[in-house]
Amino acid sequence: MPAPTPSAPTPPASAPSDPGFLTIVGAEKRFGASTVLGGVDLAVAGGEFVSLLGPSGCGKTTLLRIVAGLVAADRGRVVLDGRDVTRTPPHRRDVGVVFQNYALFPHLTVAENVAFGLKAKGHPRAEIPAVVARFLDLVQMAPFADRRAQALSGGQQQRVAVARALAVRPKLLLLDEPFSALDRKLREAMQIDLKRLLRELGITALFVTHDQDEALTMSDRIAVMNRGAIEQLADPVTLYRRPATAFALGFVGLSSRLHGTVREEGDGVLRVETALGTVRAPGRFRPGSPVLLGVRPERIRIGADGPNAIEATLVEVAFQGARAHLFFAGPDGERALLAEAPEIPAGARPGARLRLSWAIEDTLVFPAEPAQRDAA
Amino acid sequence: MSAPAAPLTGRVPARRSLSVRPDPVALLALPAFAYLAAAYGWPLLVLLGRSLSGPQGISLTPLAQFLSDPFSWRVIGNTVRTALLVTLVCLLAGYPAAVALARARGAVQGLLLLSVILPLSVGVVVKAYAWQIVLRRDGVVSGLLVGLGIWDAPQRLLFTETGLVIGAANVFLPFMILPIYAVIRQIDPRLAEAAATLGASPLRRFLGVTLPLTLPGIVSGIAFVFSLAVSMYVVPSLVIGDRFQTLATLTGRAFLFMRDEQLGSTTAVLLLAVAVAVVVGSTALARRLGGGGQS
Repeated sequence: MPAPTPSAPTPPASAPSDPGFLTIVGAEKRFGASTVLGGVDLAVAGGEFVSLLGPSGCGKTTLLRIVAGLVAADRGRVVLDGRDVTRTPPHRRDVGVVFQNYALFPHLTVAENVAFGLKAKGHPRAEIPAVVARFLDLVQMAPFADRRAQALSGGQQQRVAVARALAVRPKLLLLDEPFSALDRKLREAMQIDLKRLLRELGITALFVTHDQDEALTMSDRIAVMNRGAIEQLADPVTLYRRPATAFALGFVGLSSRLHGTVREEGDGVLRVETALGTVRAPGRFRPGSPVLLGVRPERIRIGADGPNAIEATLVEVAFQGARAHLFFAGPDGERALLAEAPEIPAGARPGARLRLSWAIEDTLVFPAEPAQRDAA
Repeated sequence: MSAPAAPLTGRVPARRSLSVRPDPVALLALPAFAYLAAAYGWPLLVLLGRSLSGPQGISLTPLAQFLSDPFSWRVIGNTVRTALLVTLVCLLAGYPAAVALARARGAVQGLLLLSVILPLSVGVVVKAYAWQIVLRRDGVVSGLLVGLGIWDAPQRLLFTETGLVIGAANVFLPFMILPIYAVIRQIDPRLAEAAATLGASPLRRFLGVTLPLTLPGIVSGIAFVFSLAVSMYVVPSLVIGDRFQTLATLTGRAFLFMRDEQLGSTTAVLLLAVAVAVVVGSTALARRLGGGGQS
C-alpha cells in the first residue's frame, strides 16, 4: 500500500487524544454452560492499534463480535466515540470488519464490493466511483476493479476486504485474523503495509490474532487473553520484557522455564532452588513459596560466568540462519532451557555440558500455578 | 486428460482424437440413459410422430386444427395459469421455510427437514382426497374463515381454481424448499454480517446479498415446481374435476375416454414443449446466475 497521496481520504472524525475512544466495560458472554467472556474491560485510544492476542477459545473473537454488534453481550457496555452502542445494531455502529475469510461478495466485482457499503450508507451516487477508485488505489487493487472477487488470490482478496471496510470511513476497524490464510512472506509484507495505511488514515483498530509475532509487529498495545479474560494489556516491549503472568510469558516469545522453591529473600532478591541449581531473581516472595522462573533465550550467555550460572547438558542445536537456538536438558531430560546465540559456539555438540548465565534482573518470577503450560 | 488410456495403448493419441474420446466417467450414466431411451424416448418419438401425422402423411394440420379452437386456448391458459400460480405460492411459502431450515441447528433442523421430506412419501391421491375433505363447504377451511369473520357464510373451495392451487402447492412445496435450502446452506453467513457492518439494513442485506446468492436455488425450485404443476393430472382430477381442463387432464381424457389418439398426442406434445422450454430456459438462467455466485 503506497504512501499517502494528496487524494488520500481524510481521517475519520475521531479524537486521537481520547483515551477511551472505544471503551468496553464488563463484557460478559456465555454460550450454554461455558463462559466465553468473564467481564472484560478494555479502553482503546483514538488512532490506536490494539491487538487481542490469545489461543483459540480464549474469547478474543467473541469480544470482537460484541464490539461489531454481531453478538450481543449478556452483560456489559460498549461505548464508541462517546456514544453507548451496546444496543445499536451492527449497521448503525460505524464499525468496519475485515473477516478472517474476507467475506467478499462473490456475486459482485471488486469495485462493486467496495461500493456496497457506500450505497448502503446513502453516499451521493455520483461520488461513489471516485471513492471506490481512491480506496482501490490505496490498497493497490485498482487494476482488478472489474474482476470477480472469487477470481483473486488470498492476498488480493484481503486487500479488497480492507478497502471495502475502510471506504465507508468507519470510526473503528476490527480485523479478525486477516492474515492467517496467507503464506509467511506475503503475511509479513502485508502486516507492514496495513499498519502503515491505518496510521496514515488515523484509523483506530482492534485486531484479533493468535500469532504473537503478528501482534508484536503491528500493535501499539497488546491485550493477552486467556480463558475469557485479559491477562495483560501492555505495549509490545513491556509485554515481552515484563510479562505479568506465567501465561503471558508462555504465549508471547520463547522462554526457558524452571520450577523452583523460594529459599530466602533479601533486598528484593530471591534465592530460588531449582533442579538445576540455585537461581537468583528479583522479587518478593515468602520463603517456601513455589514459583515459576522464566528467562528469555537471548538473555542467556553461553560459557560465561555471572551471578546466575548453572550447568546444563546440550540436547539439540537448531541453526536458523541469523541465529542459533540451543536446547538444554531440564531436570527430567526434556528440552527445558533455550539459549539463543548469534553463532553456534565452539564445542556445542549434543551431550556437551555447558555453563549458562544471565543477569539477576533477567529472571522473571511468577507464582507457580497448578496447571502450567510447557516451556518454549 | 484421460491418463489411464494413453499408456496402455502404447502411443500418445493426437490431441484431436482426445477431445472426441468420451469421458470414462460419463459411461456411468449409460444404464440410466439406456433405460430412459427405451422406456421413455421411444414412446415419446411415436407420440411426436402421431401428433404430426394426418391421413395424408406428415402434416401440421392436426396441430393447427387444435390451435384454431378457442376451447384449446382456454385449456392452455388454464394449464399455464394454474402452474404459474402454484409456482408462485410455493416460492412465497417455500423461500422463508428454506431459510428457516438452513438456519436451524441440531434436532430442530432434523425435525424441520423431516417435515419437508416425509410428506413426499404420502401418495398424491391420498393428499388430493384429504384436500377434498378440507376444502368442502363444511370443511376445516370454510369453518375457520367463517369463525374468524372473514367469510359471512360457509363456502366451498372444492371444485374451484383457488382450491386447486392450494392443494397443488401443498403437494409440490418440498420441490421448491429443497433446492433453495441446498443453496442457502452453501452461503457463508459472514457475507450477511459483512453487509451489516458496511451499513446495510436487514432488508438491504436480503436484497443485495442473500437473494442474489440464492437465485440459482430459486431458479431450480421454480423449474421443478412449474414442470410438475404444468403436467399434474391427479390433483386437478380429484380437486376440481372435469369442468376445468388442463393439457394434462385433456390428454388423459383423450386417450382414456374419447379414444382420440390424435388429440391426445397433440396435447401431450404441446405440454412437452412447454415443459422443455421451461427446463432449458431455467437451466440456462441458473448457469448464468450461478457463474458469478456459487462455484
